[in-house]
Amino acid sequence: MLVQTQKYLTTSLAVIVVTILAGCGQSGFDSEFATSEHTQSLIREAQTGVGELPGVTDLVDERFGTPQDLQAWTRLPIDFGGTTGRVASAPDASAAVKELTLEFDEGTSIDFDPQKTLEIQFITGAAAPLTAVVSSWSAENRVASLTTALEAAPAAGDVIVLNGGEPLQHGRVLYMRHCAHCHGTTGDGQGPTAEYLVPRPRDYRHGVFKFTSTTAQDKASRDDLQRVLRNGVPGTYMPSFVPMLNETELHDVVEYVRFLTMRGEFERRMVNELAADYSRQAVETRKSGGESYNDIVKELKGFLESDLADSLEFVSDDLVTAWTNADTPDAVIVPTMARVPDSPDSRRRGRELYLSSAINCADCHGIAAEGNGPQTTIFEKNPVTQQLYKEPGLHDVWDHVNQPRNLRRGIYRGGRRPIDLFCRIQAGIKGSRMPSFKNLPHEDIWHIVNYVLSIPFEPEPGHGPTPSVSPAAEAAASL
Amino acid sequence: MKKFWALFFIFWPIVALWACWVAPERHWWFPVFPGTGTTDAMSPLGERIDGLFHLILGIVTVTFVGTQIALGYVLWKGAVKSDDTAAEFSHGSHSLELIWTVVPAFVLVFIALYQMDVWAEFRVQSFYPDQTVQDGPQLELTARQFEWRVRYPAPGKELKNQPQPDDLYAVNELHVATGRPVKFNLRTDDVQHAFFAPQLRLKQDAVAGLIIPVWFQIPKAGNYDLVCAELCGWGHYKMRATIIAEPAEKVQQYIENLQTAQNFDGVITTDEE
Repeated sequence: MLVQTQKYLTTSLAVIVVTILAGCGQSGFDSEFATSEHTQSLIREAQTGVGELPGVTDLVDERFGTPQDLQAWTRLPIDFGGTTGRVASAPDASAAVKELTLEFDEGTSIDFDPQKTLEIQFITGAAAPLTAVVSSWSAENRVASLTTALEAAPAAGDVIVLNGGEPLQHGRVLYMRHCAHCHGTTGDGQGPTAEYLVPRPRDYRHGVFKFTSTTAQDKASRDDLQRVLRNGVPGTYMPSFVPMLNETELHDVVEYVRFLTMRGEFERRMVNELAADYSRQAVETRKSGGESYNDIVKELKGFLESDLADSLEFVSDDLVTAWTNADTPDAVIVPTMARVPDSPDSRRRGRELYLSSAINCADCHGIAAEGNGPQTTIFEKNPVTQQLYKEPGLHDVWDHVNQPRNLRRGIYRGGRRPIDLFCRIQAGIKGSRMPSFKNLPHEDIWHIVNYVLSIPFEPEPGHGPTPSVSPAAEAAASL
Repeated sequence: MKKFWALFFIFWPIVALWACWVAPERHWWFPVFPGTGTTDAMSPLGERIDGLFHLILGIVTVTFVGTQIALGYVLWKGAVKSDDTAAEFSHGSHSLELIWTVVPAFVLVFIALYQMDVWAEFRVQSFYPDQTVQDGPQLELTARQFEWRVRYPAPGKELKNQPQPDDLYAVNELHVATGRPVKFNLRTDDVQHAFFAPQLRLKQDAVAGLIIPVWFQIPKAGNYDLVCAELCGWGHYKMRATIIAEPAEKVQQYIENLQTAQNFDGVITTDEE
């Protein structure tokens, strides 16, 4: 009896210990960047390439890597961190290169800690894109000894980075822990919890963020993304992440989100370059027009050989310019005049503009500003497929119904400061059907802002006291 | 073998007792709070709640030790008897039954009466400190999946249950004055949440449809944790905020800064213009 009990106890104890230890393993979770549906709409050869020539997925993987092995495409305006320096003098190329003299900008100091790995990444020159591990560092003559000999010898002036990519790696860990279950590993807004949420989590891969302080044609700035992380988005499931994340963590998450966004946008734009001729649908049409599949693939091969470089250059240039500009002061909307003081007159003027045929806020937001204007019942056409959406209402670029805000509720997703509302009107809400009124005089925008901010406190139509206007004031107004 | 089992079951209560005895100095119960560097309650009411806790701990310890000694004694007595001894069946003792019913009943009634004033001050509005009635609620705290949204009245105004045009809003940060009782209204936007400030020993559920007045008093300035103590969804763990206790003037200053920030119109005017 006792022997049996002891056996039983030992077995169950062993099972528990094994389970606990297995739970602690790091290897349990490998994530991957899934290919987007947009890419999957291309024929297989366009996705994975013809022979040695790369397809869209190869181009993306080469530049961005996998979640476990992120690539730093240094052209992108992302803070990859690390210390940038140069090779000071060309090492003797005849022998194996195991030592390098480096130079850094003035004021840069290198803390070498033998306990931690110090990695050198070669950015330019013959040794790029190799990485090497530093075994010792002499601060006096700035010589780094490497653990293994380099396969190619760098020249003087080659740019190197010490321990680059830390913000991204750290950002990835935080993103996978706090964000990925809604926003998805690739930022496609399709994490496991996403399907329970209305509105749906943002899909970054369009490169579009709704609530920005930048002009209509500009991307979201780092500050905009940080503001969303700090304040959350009221009226949606996006909570505030402060004080849970500290300043460094916020910065790193923002950089990783920007990385995912640029990755998604790059993928999307490259697909667009090919979609007209090589999407499954286009190929079907061409085949029915008498072309053979082999000819089409041959043509694709020709494109990949000769024209891909141009497309690539065009797309990446555009991406770099757009995301760099977003963080410049020029991109930020600054009203030309201070807010018009809030007054009954200003609100009345705002209401007039709200109803005016030129601006016509009421067409979508409704006469009573309840978010139920006539436009909310129409059937829209999908701008990509040219087919009617199944459900009535206004749709955003993510193909979700995105009805205009009920302004009576006093919930402002992009923030409730006057400047926030000003930006919503001046630049529109990106990706949604809220257009930009960039040609509207700023004074008029302020009147509308004053009116919109007053709506939640108005008596409901038909209720409460009607504002009394003295006959004298009425007479004065009509003059 | 009988002796082994008798010793086995005597051994574990001793381990339990030892663990309880060393728990406070090894910080096996309340964590040491960063910032205050102690496990002590940081509010006067919290200290009284701790007092109740220690009283009950004392009663439970005495009961535990007593029953375990009795159990051990019975076990050991049975273990040393020879196998030939016939078992003795008892049909209970009326006086014993009376004793172990009446004594715990007295203990429970004593605890019920003894804790009443603390409970009343903690939960019954008419027993809240006079100053909370005079000052009224200082802010409204709305729990939401998965954050705490704060609504302050504009400087010099009183908090209304309905939002006002000049109300001020913040997320996950409560600024309250030190050294005086502070009352606030607790609500929830969606599911049930619970306001839990461990250092203040304060826990109160936020229930949909109710506005619940809660009060606390923090004598010492500093940052105190606020967490959600009701499993409210997948993001429950991230529902964390900071209670910042500071002198009343600083709170006033904070509210004024909040007002300036909230009225920001994007135009930065410099004195030179």
